[in-house]
Amino acid sequence: MLEFDGLRKSYGDNQVLDGVGFAVRPGSMFGFCGSNGAGKTTTMRIAMGLVLPDAGEVRWQGRRLDQVLRRRVGYMPEERGLYPKMKVGEQVAYLARLHGLDRAAAARASEEWVERLGLGARRGDPVEKLSLGNQQRVQLAAALVSRPEVLILDEPFSGLDPVGVDSLAEALLDQVRSGVPVVFSSHQLDLVERLCDSVGILARGRMVATGTVEELRRREAGRLLRVVVPDAAPGWATALPGVRVVSEQAGDTLLDLAGHADDQAVLAAAVRTGRVAHFAWREPTLVELFRGAVADPRTEQEVAA
Amino acid sequence: MSAPDPTRDAGRDPGSAELVRLVAGREISARLRDKNFIIGVVLTVVLLIGILGFQVAVNSGGEEPRLGVVGDTAQLGPAVEAQGQAIGIDVTVVPLDDEAAARQAVETGDVDGALLAGGGPAPELLVEDRDATMEAVVNAAVSGVAVAQQLAEAGVDLDAVPEVEVTALAADDEEDQQQVLVAIIGVGLLYGLLIMFGQFVAQGVVEEKASRVVELLLATMRPWQLLAGKIIGLGVLGLAQIVLIGVIAVGGALAFDVVAVPGALIGTVVSVVLWFVLGYAFYAAAFAVAASLVSRQEDLGSVLTPMMVLLIGGFFVGIQAAADPGGTLAVVTSYVPGLSPLVMPVRQAAGEAAAWEVAVAVAVMLVAIVAAVRLGGRVYAGALLRTSGKTKLREALRAERA
Repeated sequence: MLEFDGLRKSYGDNQVLDGVGFAVRPGSMFGFCGSNGAGKTTTMRIAMGLVLPDAGEVRWQGRRLDQVLRRRVGYMPEERGLYPKMKVGEQVAYLARLHGLDRAAAARASEEWVERLGLGARRGDPVEKLSLGNQQRVQLAAALVSRPEVLILDEPFSGLDPVGVDSLAEALLDQVRSGVPVVFSSHQLDLVERLCDSVGILARGRMVATGTVEELRRREAGRLLRVVVPDAAPGWATALPGVRVVSEQAGDTLLDLAGHADDQAVLAAAVRTGRVAHFAWREPTLVELFRGAVADPRTEQEVAA
Repeated sequence: MSAPDPTRDAGRDPGSAELVRLVAGREISARLRDKNFIIGVVLTVVLLIGILGFQVAVNSGGEEPRLGVVGDTAQLGPAVEAQGQAIGIDVTVVPLDDEAAARQAVETGDVDGALLAGGGPAPELLVEDRDATMEAVVNAAVSGVAVAQQLAEAGVDLDAVPEVEVTALAADDEEDQQQVLVAIIGVGLLYGLLIMFGQFVAQGVVEEKASRVVELLLATMRPWQLLAGKIIGLGVLGLAQIVLIGVIAVGGALAFDVVAVPGALIGTVVSVVLWFVLGYAFYAAAFAVAASLVSRQEDLGSVLTPMMVLLIGGFFVGIQAAADPGGTLAVVTSYVPGLSPLVMPVRQAAGEAAAWEVAVAVAVMLVAIVAAVRLGGRVYAGALLRTSGKTKLREALRAERA
């Protein structure tokens, strides 16, 4: 298990992390979501020893991640970093050597990964001559070249075109299949939903939701109701008790029902407006789960009140 | 996954020495592929050989007058050469057949003058333009030979003429002068190399910060390992360069016979090289720390200014010390860490510094190096991951890895 346990960090008065914890099984992919500034990068930097936590630790197979153990972790920082003037092949080989491979093994692994990521022809070019997408591939090669036991990737998909996203996703799934736990952060929630076995949502320095996408859905299920009433006047549902209108467009209405709200009362109200074309519970998308989870609870209460 | 999968095993864990060596190796190979650096080295060497060639040309070229002699060269030849030597000129005597040949030789410039000492009542000197030195040499030689002849005819024993023995009181003076000159050239070189390699270190640090690769590096090693590797790698290159220059200079000077005392020359060159090592260690640490405070090459100039001022100051004091190696300024600054590498070699070359003085200066410098590396390591560690804008020195000290 890769465990993040009770991480706390503050810069002055700014509490960035307030007890962040989650676990990732070997051979599974964990999507780390949260709005900008929620603390995702700080969490990953703590794992890589780049930031000292005020409390808490990160463990791999029960051992605290230290300088030695960290060599077995493949890392992609949020701000991509490579030597601009160093050649692609040499750069990847150099980083492999820093992770403990000997000269021959590093050269072989570098060649293999550069080839696999489609950069074979550019091996002798300095990184600065490559397109941004290709630089990103070199960055991935740098993370994978040492055959890591764990992958921690900060926004690996940002800035990639759809083809690049697919090939990176394939590479990560490959790693997962060979038993590596993969943690990555992303704002592309559709991607997280498609790829990840489990998801964690970080807001205001705390994990507000963790689990598989299915679990999160089940937790939220039975709350969102889609009603299509073509003849209804706008605002037909606003007065119903315990019901919040999420969206309303030409009678296509999405309603958020509080626990005590009566769905049959909603149906009756719908029928009163005329024809009812659609009435069903709806599974929330991860985007909706995310919005619900990161919304400030105080403002939500105000809205509900 | 309780037992680590052997196929995934990343191999051995590189120790500190291994990591430092890897970083140093990368620095060296990156610089050796930098065309500008190679051009710089080649230019320095070419310039050095040029200076040597110029010295050789000045010392020997064209200043050896040639004198044609018609007639009795057996006696006049050695006499002319001896007279020339007495006033420090190597006169070459060229035997000529007759007056016509002599005139032609003078006109074509083959000889600087021609002495006609054939049958005439008085010898005659042919010159293109009048030349007081040549005339004096020839006159003295001719009269010397004549006097000797007349004395011999009169039966006087020439062996009785006493020869003056010369003792120079200021025997070492010229030699020391030469060593000081070598030391000045050495200090100039040292100053240039310190600035150049200090800048390399600073640029390397900023490059890693600006390109954010530092985050990837620090995930595998500690800041001090990165700092040490960078300083040692570039230091090896700098040392190789100054040793190369030293070897060429000493070799050339010996081959062309430019210097009087080879042993003293080698001593001065060795002391300059050793002072380079100390100066480099100090300035490289200082430059690296200053550079770690900024994240863009454009901001580098402002943070490097204090060190630059110190270096330039040291250079001028060093030059001044050549003129007055025993003066208060030179003596005091030859102990000040940072200045001593540029001043002490000059005092040593001038023979003004006792062994214990050099030892004290070296010890003070070593203490300063240890302090710079330790303090610098902390600042470097604190500032390295702050990749936005400028970091204040105090913040960096407080924020070490926070």
